[in-house]
Amino acid sequence: MARHGKFYAGLAVAAVFILLEIAAMSMLKRSSVLQDIWINRASHNVMAWTWGKVTVLRNYLSLQKDNQVLAGRNYELFKELQHYKEMERELKAMAKLDSMGFRSRFNYIPAEITAMGTNSRHNYIILDKGSDDGVKPNSAIITPYGVVGMIYSVDRHYSYGLSLLNDRISVSARIGREGLVAPMSWDGHGTDRAVLRNIPLHLSVAEGDTVVTSGLSTFYPADIPLGVTMGSRLVDGAVNVVDVNLFIDFASLRYVIIAENPDRQTIEKMEQ
Amino acid sequence: MKRGRFILLYLTLLVAQIVLCNYFSLSNYVLVSLLPVLILVLPHRMNGIVAMLIAFVSGLTVDFFSTGMLGITSLSLVPVALIRRILMALVFGDEIVTREEETTFGRVGIIKASLIVLISCAIYFLVYIWADSAGTVGFWPAAGRFLLSVIVSTPVCVLVARLLRPE
Repeated sequence: MARHGKFYAGLAVAAVFILLEIAAMSMLKRSSVLQDIWINRASHNVMAWTWGKVTVLRNYLSLQKDNQVLAGRNYELFKELQHYKEMERELKAMAKLDSMGFRSRFNYIPAEITAMGTNSRHNYIILDKGSDDGVKPNSAIITPYGVVGMIYSVDRHYSYGLSLLNDRISVSARIGREGLVAPMSWDGHGTDRAVLRNIPLHLSVAEGDTVVTSGLSTFYPADIPLGVTMGSRLVDGAVNVVDVNLFIDFASLRYVIIAENPDRQTIEKMEQ
Repeated sequence: MKRGRFILLYLTLLVAQIVLCNYFSLSNYVLVSLLPVLILVLPHRMNGIVAMLIAFVSGLTVDFFSTGMLGITSLSLVPVALIRRILMALVFGDEIVTREEETTFGRVGIIKASLIVLISCAIYFLVYIWADSAGTVGFWPAAGRFLLSVIVSTPVCVLVARLLRPE
């Protein structure tokens, strides 16, 4: 109790001291211009220091919020960066296709894979470009490293295609630049394997030859590399099939190019 | 009787301080003040708040009649009143302050008496010169003024203390 009394007495003494000092300073401030300026300056300094510290404290306390905002911005920047990287990649891919001498009759549209199946015998692929982007059915889905599939149907914003890993897809392929032409399709086993079918028995195929698109179909541009031959085997005693190790890696595939031949219908009419 | 004598002497010395300020200015670098010791020798049992109020009013009186800067002496003298009891406890010992026994400077010895007066004067002049300079005087001139003022005022204050609290 006595301790409390002493504490309150001390508090009262301190309060009176501060009041008297403030009163004295106030009077001094009014009675002299020099002291007035000095006290004002000191007061401003104290205020500036106090507000500075308060701001520092406030900033410190709001660090978590700032960090969240920064993380959000970081994410936005990351997305933007990815977008530009994708654009650059697509442009490079297009440039590569151009440099490979593809015929200009094809129109190219870059696209991103939205969904793709690889686990069945009838695998599909869904792309993020649709009829609004100029995609038409029966357009080829390619990359600079191989054929991915073919557009089957088109929505306004998406397109559905059949993957090369689908036994309904066949690509006209050539072994080497001026070699044998044969249809290539998936072997139904691995995602990196395909076979060249219907190769006459009297023709031999060496291992390690590059297989490219022949350009003889109206669907696929010519000379897109597809893979390398791995050896041939006899089927049904009538024809040879050649195993092909595909260049394209379906597991890591994300960006593709849709190649559409605007003259396809005209050519098909002439064929009929 | 003793109390009346003390009050009379206190008021007389206050007037003496006013006269000193107005007519006996030694130099701009030397301030002579009796005020710290006037506060120091206030009765022990006097409440700290009352002592501070007396210091404030005394300072105001001196300012009003002499310096023209109303508040500067009060500003310097109130801290002396605040630490008066603490100083006494430190220099004379806790016992004297606890017993609220009036201390005569003769009893505690000239060294202790001089020490406490010196500290009081130092506090008083520190605040006074700091406020009076108002940031316009450099450190060394201000320090010189402070030292000279303390050196001159301390012996005067010790003499006054002996006068106010004789054996």
